[in-house]
Amino acid sequence: MSRRRAGQRTASALVAATALVLAGCGSPYRGEPLGTAPALDTQAQVDGRALFDRYCSECHPGGAAGLAPGINNKPLPGWLVRAQVRLGMGAMPPFSRETISAVELDAIVAYVLELKK
Amino acid sequence: MSRGARVVLILVALVAVAAVLFWRYGAFPLLPSRGGGQTEFEGPRVADAADVAVPAGYEVEVVAEGLTFPTDVTFDEQGNVYVLEAGYSYGEVFTVPRLLRVSADGGKDVVAEGESGPWNGVAYSDGSFYVAGKDGDFGAILRVTTTGEVTTVLGGLPSLGDHHTNAATMGPDGQIYFGQGTATNAGVVGTDNHAFGWLERHPDFHDVPCDDVTLAGLNYQTENPLTDADDNVTTGAYRPFGTASTSDQVISGAMPCNGAIMRIEPEGGEPELVAWGFRNPYGLAFAPTGELYVVNNSYDERGSRPVYGTGDLLYRVEEGAWYGWPDFHGDLQLDDEDRFGHATAPAPETLLSRHPGSPPAPAAVLTVHSSSNGMSFSTSEVFGHVGAVFIAQLGDMAPQVGKVAMPAGFKVVRVDPDTGVVIDFMVNRDPSGPASYTGTAGLERPISAKFSPDGSELYVVDFGVMTMSEQGPAPREGTGVVWRVVPAGGGAP
Repeated sequence: MSRRRAGQRTASALVAATALVLAGCGSPYRGEPLGTAPALDTQAQVDGRALFDRYCSECHPGGAAGLAPGINNKPLPGWLVRAQVRLGMGAMPPFSRETISAVELDAIVAYVLELKK
Repeated sequence: MSRGARVVLILVALVAVAAVLFWRYGAFPLLPSRGGGQTEFEGPRVADAADVAVPAGYEVEVVAEGLTFPTDVTFDEQGNVYVLEAGYSYGEVFTVPRLLRVSADGGKDVVAEGESGPWNGVAYSDGSFYVAGKDGDFGAILRVTTTGEVTTVLGGLPSLGDHHTNAATMGPDGQIYFGQGTATNAGVVGTDNHAFGWLERHPDFHDVPCDDVTLAGLNYQTENPLTDADDNVTTGAYRPFGTASTSDQVISGAMPCNGAIMRIEPEGGEPELVAWGFRNPYGLAFAPTGELYVVNNSYDERGSRPVYGTGDLLYRVEEGAWYGWPDFHGDLQLDDEDRFGHATAPAPETLLSRHPGSPPAPAAVLTVHSSSNGMSFSTSEVFGHVGAVFIAQLGDMAPQVGKVAMPAGFKVVRVDPDTGVVIDFMVNRDPSGPASYTGTAGLERPISAKFSPDGSELYVVDFGVMTMSEQGPAPREGTGVVWRVVPAGGGAP
């Protein structure tokens, strides 16, 4: 990894950390019973939901808080979500390209961005 | 450099150091636990369907209230409803295990009583109830007649520890399938088991594998709560408390064993192993395809070998397979420092020097500490979602099981076993925790979800209020409820 790229990733992580603190744990609920489930209009979002449930929902159930803070109201753009998934943060593990491919991460980000709406 | 510039530089450096520390360690070590049981409860418990939300097209009803530690429900040929009361709850509260018949107005008649609990699961078949319960100190499969006679089909099951005998389930082959939980969280008897209460009663009890396993020889030193002296003991995997293991030591497998699914003929005989390497295989259900599924309660962050961040897992059961306990979470090995450890607790080392197999991948991943328990598949077009499995989530027992940022579980989820997609089905209108946590009259701790014989109604057994503190669980007698979810207007939405 180049020093410039490493620096960019570190900067991304620092911004993500700040955003996480701002976001806190009180993430809004998204789900069918309350009529607030995200509308999945694209195949990427549909694929993203299945991937999210495999890799993310364990700690962020439905994007809300559980073991880890909620992310449904996380004020992060997609590229910072990608950065946090790849780098990890605190107790959150990093997910390599071998575990989550670039295409799969795109789908997860598409779903996560829909969860924010 | 001017003094002002130096101050700015120092501030920037401090902020950068703080940010890097936050990135590396996160807020986890600093945040308090906010488990769903970490609340006060004065009572009485009120159950109001208006405080429970289900998707459009369904309605919620209260079937029965005032139950003490209910764990399961079943039905006879006439569609009569029977509910099981455990007779025991974490928190070391012992009551009388009972099978009750519930009438249409919510009245309860005692069909049978047992001598020791917990009674964790019940199935009805051909005039008899089959209960995953206890006979004396040991786990057992019991037969209960409609006139209340209780006999033991299979006794001597290793249920003296943290987890018990679960989910008596009638298979399509006419055999009774059941889950047998482990004695410990992660293979090593420790002070957490003393806190549970059983180590004092059964100081020699420990896990037994279903087949021979070879140990790496890891040992764990703890204080000795069994003596008044200020002494320590060393304990190895699959060994009694205070007994060390050695490298390449072979622990002989035996039947019946811990962490397994087994089956037995209704007439009794020797149990047969179906699959092993589970931690607490609590929920069992056969899909419309005839395939057996299990939901396994994953590791806690407690005891001599705490494991961080492992959600409960739904599996399609492969006959004879080993599912990874005590060294894997799903198909992931636990010694992954990034994944199963954190700033204040390293990931556990591997206990076995050779693994009995490669654990199969799960069909779905469920929430960490959600305690995903009793479940069943929808088979009816009237109810809808045919082929999906509905799983009751008892909810976290934080802080005893580890820390959580917010309550986890306390609802019923619908899972597509083919895609692994998990969708909430039944939650509180204030979905941020159990009713006692949010001050409402909705769900407390759903422990079983079972369809009526015709598949048109989903019954949800709610264990009742169990608050948590640093001293452990405080379950409340008489707070259990049975709920029912029906399609609005009598047909599928």
